[in-house]
Amino acid sequence: MTLATDPSKPYRPDALVVGGGIAGMQSALDLADQGLKVMLVERGPSIGGHMIALAKVFPTLDCASCITAPKMSASSHHDNIKILVNTEVQAIQTINGVHHVKLLKKATYVNFDKCIGCRLCEYACDAEYPDPLEEGLGAKRAIGVAFTNAIPQKAVLDPELCATCGTCARVCPTDAIEFDQQPETVIVETDAVVVASGFALNSLNVKPQYNAMRSKNIISGLTMERLLAPHGPYGRVLRPSDGKIPSSVAFVQCAGSRDASIGVPYCSRVCCMYAIKQAMLLSGALPIADITIYYMDIRAFGKGYEEFYQNAKAMGVNFVRGKVARIDPVDDGDLLLHVESTEDAENFLQQHRHDLVVLAQGMLPEWDMSGTTPVRRAPDGFVATPMLTSPTATTAPGIFVAGVAAGPKDIVDTIAEAGAAAMQVSQYLYQKRSIAVDQTQAAVLVG
Amino acid sequence: MSDKNGSIQQPGTQDLDLVCGTPEEEEALLEADATYMKQLAAVKQQLERVQQQRSDLPPEVRVGVYICRCGGNISDVVDVERVAEVVSLIPGVVTAKVNTFCCSDPGQQTITSDILEQNLDRVVVASCSPSLHEQTFRGAVSRANLNPYLYEQVNIREQGSWAHRHDPEGATQLAIHMISAAIGKLRYSIPLDQIKLPNHRKALVIGGGIGGMKAAVDMAGRGLLVMLVEKSDRLGGRLNERGRVYPSEKMASELVTELIQKVRANKNIEVLLNSNVTSVNGFIGNFRTVITGPFGPAGATESTDALVGAIVMATGYRPYVPRDGEFLYHQDPCVLTTPEFIQFLQSLDARTKDMVYQGRTIRSLAFLHCVGSRQLDGVHEPQSDGTLNTYCSRVCCSTILQQALAVRERFPKVRVYDFHRDIRTYGRGEEDYYINASKAGVVFFRFNGEDPIKVERNGHAGGKKAAPLTVTVKDALTWGEELEVPVDMVVLGVGMMPSHIEDLVESIKLPTGEDHFLQEVHPKLRPVEVAVNGVLLAGTAQGPMNIQETLNAAGAAAVKAASMFAKDVVELNPFVAVVDASRCTGNAICVTQCDYEGALKMVEVEVDGRKVQRAEVNAGLCSGCGACVPVCPSRAIDVDGWRLDQYDAMVDGLVADSAHSQCGVEELVHLG
Repeated sequence: MTLATDPSKPYRPDALVVGGGIAGMQSALDLADQGLKVMLVERGPSIGGHMIALAKVFPTLDCASCITAPKMSASSHHDNIKILVNTEVQAIQTINGVHHVKLLKKATYVNFDKCIGCRLCEYACDAEYPDPLEEGLGAKRAIGVAFTNAIPQKAVLDPELCATCGTCARVCPTDAIEFDQQPETVIVETDAVVVASGFALNSLNVKPQYNAMRSKNIISGLTMERLLAPHGPYGRVLRPSDGKIPSSVAFVQCAGSRDASIGVPYCSRVCCMYAIKQAMLLSGALPIADITIYYMDIRAFGKGYEEFYQNAKAMGVNFVRGKVARIDPVDDGDLLLHVESTEDAENFLQQHRHDLVVLAQGMLPEWDMSGTTPVRRAPDGFVATPMLTSPTATTAPGIFVAGVAAGPKDIVDTIAEAGAAAMQVSQYLYQKRSIAVDQTQAAVLVG
Repeated sequence: MSDKNGSIQQPGTQDLDLVCGTPEEEEALLEADATYMKQLAAVKQQLERVQQQRSDLPPEVRVGVYICRCGGNISDVVDVERVAEVVSLIPGVVTAKVNTFCCSDPGQQTITSDILEQNLDRVVVASCSPSLHEQTFRGAVSRANLNPYLYEQVNIREQGSWAHRHDPEGATQLAIHMISAAIGKLRYSIPLDQIKLPNHRKALVIGGGIGGMKAAVDMAGRGLLVMLVEKSDRLGGRLNERGRVYPSEKMASELVTELIQKVRANKNIEVLLNSNVTSVNGFIGNFRTVITGPFGPAGATESTDALVGAIVMATGYRPYVPRDGEFLYHQDPCVLTTPEFIQFLQSLDARTKDMVYQGRTIRSLAFLHCVGSRQLDGVHEPQSDGTLNTYCSRVCCSTILQQALAVRERFPKVRVYDFHRDIRTYGRGEEDYYINASKAGVVFFRFNGEDPIKVERNGHAGGKKAAPLTVTVKDALTWGEELEVPVDMVVLGVGMMPSHIEDLVESIKLPTGEDHFLQEVHPKLRPVEVAVNGVLLAGTAQGPMNIQETLNAAGAAAVKAASMFAKDVVELNPFVAVVDASRCTGNAICVTQCDYEGALKMVEVEVDGRKVQRAEVNAGLCSGCGACVPVCPSRAIDVDGWRLDQYDAMVDGLVADSAHSQCGVEELVHLG
C-alpha cells in the first residue's frame, strides 16, 4: 500500500514540520523522499536556521553554507515539500487523531506571487537597522531579502522599521508591495507533526558578574561565527567596539550552562567544540593572536572530536582549566578576566587581560508549545521524550520531535535524529492508515 | 690536483668541470641526448598520429563555467576572477561566471537559467569535491533539461585552495588547468542515461543488538521486508550484559524485551540466530548474500541465499580489553573492567550489606576513566597492531558515574574515588549523574593525559587498615600534587572498539576510518551511508554512541532504506564498461583482468555466418574500474563517461602550458 494521500483532494500534508532549520529540513527531506507530502513551516523569512549563519563546522571544517545551502535548495525543489515562511505555529489541536495546526501567516507587505527577488526595493530603501542575521553587526534595510542565499528569494518588509516613504513600492517592477496586507490565520489538517523548533541562547547578561552589558567586546559564539564567516559583516575578524584587530581572544566556557544558579544545570553540548573550532579558525585568521579557552571540562565526545581537540592543542591554542569568576571592562575596551585556575598552586587567583571575549551561552528551547499543543515539556524545558525505544516520540501520539527541541545537540546528532523522527512519522502513518484500511474492509464485510 | 689527462685543474673551474666532464663523458652525454631527442620526436609523432586518428577538429560545444568562491574558502587563495577571465577565452566557453556559493539556490538558478537562455550544452562547476556536490549540480543541470552527464565538477577547494593555501599563484594556475582539462573532457562527453535495475525491497540487517533491532522494527513497521541476522543465540547484543541504563534508569532488559517483542510481533521480520553473513555480492537494490548458520534447533550448519536491496550494518562494538598488567588487569583479581563490574554488582544479592569480591571485602573503590580511549602518541602503549585509540568513547563517563552513584547508594560505607581527565556527561540527563555523584560523596581526582595514573600493589593482602592496591595520581585539582590513594578494587572504564567484522569489511569493501570503525560518506551530508551504495550504518559499528544515539542512528538508517525502496528501480551512474563489438576480437584478456565476478563474460555471437566469442558487460555488476580498458589490444572496450578520448583531451588540457610559469592563454586557446 502506498502512503501518499490522494492527489485529487485539496492540499493536506501527510506531515507538518515545525521549523526550517537543519533538523526540520532533514526531516522534511527524509519524509518527502519516501513519497510523503510535507509542509515545512518556518517563522523567519528564510529556511536555513542557525546553521546557515555559521562560518565552518566541526570536526571537518566544511563551510556551513556548503552543507546547509544545498539542503535548503533540495527542500525548495522537492515536489513533495511545501515551504511556508514568515509563518508561526500558534496551536495544535488533535481531534480524532487528526492534528489541526493553527498557523499565523504574518504580514510581509509583499505579495510573494508577484515578488521576483530582484532586491530593487532593498537597494532603494533608506531605513537601515542592525541586521539580526549578522548578530546586529551589519546593517539591513527595512525591506529586503533576508540574505543572499535565502529561500525563498522574496522581500519582506518590517513595519516596525519602515518609514512608510513608499520608495519601495515606486521602484518595484512587479507592483508586489502591499502596504495593506493583513496577517492571516489558517488551519492545516495533517496526520503527523515533527517539532523541530530548535534553540535560543540565554542572554549574554545571564551572569551579571561577566558585565556583558558594559562592553561591546563581550560577544556570543554566534557573533564570533559571523566575524569568522568569509561573507560576514566585516569580511574579517575585528572587535566590535573600535574595529581593532584582536590580539588576545578569550573563550569563557559554561557561561550559561552547567550552572544551577541561572537555572541551566545541564551541559549545552556544543560549546566546547565550537570554541575549539573558532579558536582554530582564529589562529588561521589572526596568526599572531593569543587564544585562550577557559573551561571546566573539554567535552570532545563525538566522532573525530577528541582528535580535533588534540590538534587545537598542538596548534598552540591555550587551554586553561578554571572558572572565570568575573570580567571587568578596563581601558581601551579591553577586558580583565578574574580566573580561579586549578593548574597553578602558587598563583591560582589569576587575572588575564584580553581584547575580545566570547561567552559560551547556554542553549534554551526556542518554542514553548506546552499549553497550546498536546506536547509536554520535561523539567529541563525541552520536549519530553518518554518512550524508551523511540527517542523521537513525544507525549502526544502522532507528534514527534527532532534536534535541539529535544535537548542540546550538535549538527551531526541533530541530522541523525531528524532522520529517526521522519522514520517514526512514516511508520506512524503506515500503521494508522493500515488500520484505517482494515477497518474499512471490516465495515464492508460486516455491511 | 690532476685529472686523468694529467692537466692541472684550476681552482674555481671544478663546478664547470663536473658539469662538462671529460671529453668521453661529454660524448656519452651528447649521445644520450641525441637518443633522448629521437625518443622525444618519436613520442611526438605518435601523439600527433593519435590526435589525427581521434578527429581533425574537436566537436563544437557551448560550455558554461561556474567558479565558486565558496564564501572565501576558495577565493581567499585562488584568484577566481582571473580564472574566469582566462577560461572564458577557451574556445567553446560561452560564459564563465564567479559565484559566492554555486551550491546555494540562487547559484543553481544562475546555472539553470544560463543553460536555457544561452543554449549551453555543457556545464563545468569549479568548486569543492564531487563527493560533496556532484549530485547537487547534476540535479540543477537536469532541471534545465540538460543531460546530467554533460556536467563536470572540478575540485579547486580540497585539491586547490586548501591543499595549496600558501601558494595562491600555483593554486590559481592549477584551477585554470583543471578547468581546461574538464572542458576538454566535456568536448567528448556524450549524453548518458542512468542504469535502471530492479530494486529488491528487502533489507538485510546484520546484528541483533538494539541498533539492528530498532532498524528492523522501523523498516518493518513501515511495511518493508527485513531479514535480521544475529551471530549469537539471542537478540539484545551488548545490552544483555547491562543492568540499569542511563539516563532513564530502566533495566536494560526492559528495553531489550520491548524491542524483541516488536521484532517478534512483526511478520515482516525474519530473524536468523546463530547465523553469519558469509558472502555478499552485487550492488544497491541487488545484493546477493549468503547467510550461514545452524538455523534450526538441530544445530547442523546450513546456508541460505538472500537477495536484498539494502544492507544495514548494526554490528556494534566490543569493549576495549586491557593488556595483561595494564593497571594490574589480570594480575590482581580486584581489577575489573566496567562491564565486568556491572555484572558483579548485578550478581550481588539484594540483601547483601557488604561488597565482597573474590573473598576481598571492598571498602574502597577507584574508577579510572579513559582506559583504552583518548590515547596519546608517546604516552600510551600502542596495541598489538601498533594503533592507538585516539578517540573518546563517549559513554564511559556517564557509565562510571552511574555505577559510582549506585555503589554509594547501595553501600554507603564504601569509599568511591573517580580518576578522570575530563568529565563528559554531555547528554540529556547525564549531568545529573555528575552532580549527584558529587553530592553522594564520590571523591574526584583529575589527571592530565600526559601524566597517566598508576595502579600498584601494596604487598600486603588487605588487612583491616591497609588496602591492597594503590592508585597514584598527579592530581590537577590540587595543583599537580602527587597523591597515593589506597583502594581495595579498581574499575577500569574501558572504551569501545569496533566488533571483529574484518570479513564483512573485506567482502562488502566497506571503508573504515583511522579509528577502524566504519566510515560514513560525510558526517552531515550522508551520515549513515558508506561509499558502497545501499549499505547503511546503524549504531556503534560507526563509532561510539550511547543508547539513544544508537536508536536514532538506526532510525536514520531505516529512513534511508525506506527512501531507497520508495522507488521501483535503483538508478546507478552509467560509468560502466562498454564493448565495441566491431573491434572486439574475442581474445578474452579483459575477462581475465576483471575483479568483479560476472561483470564481464564472453558470449557467442554470429559474425558473417561464423560463430565467434565477444565480450559482454553486465552493467549492474561492473564497477567501472577500467581494469579491462588498457589490456585490450584492439581498444574495443572503454568506460562510459571516462572514455580514452576524454582522458586524452584532459591530458591536453592539463599540460597545455606546463613549460611556462605564467599561464599561456594562447596555448589554452590553441587547444580548442
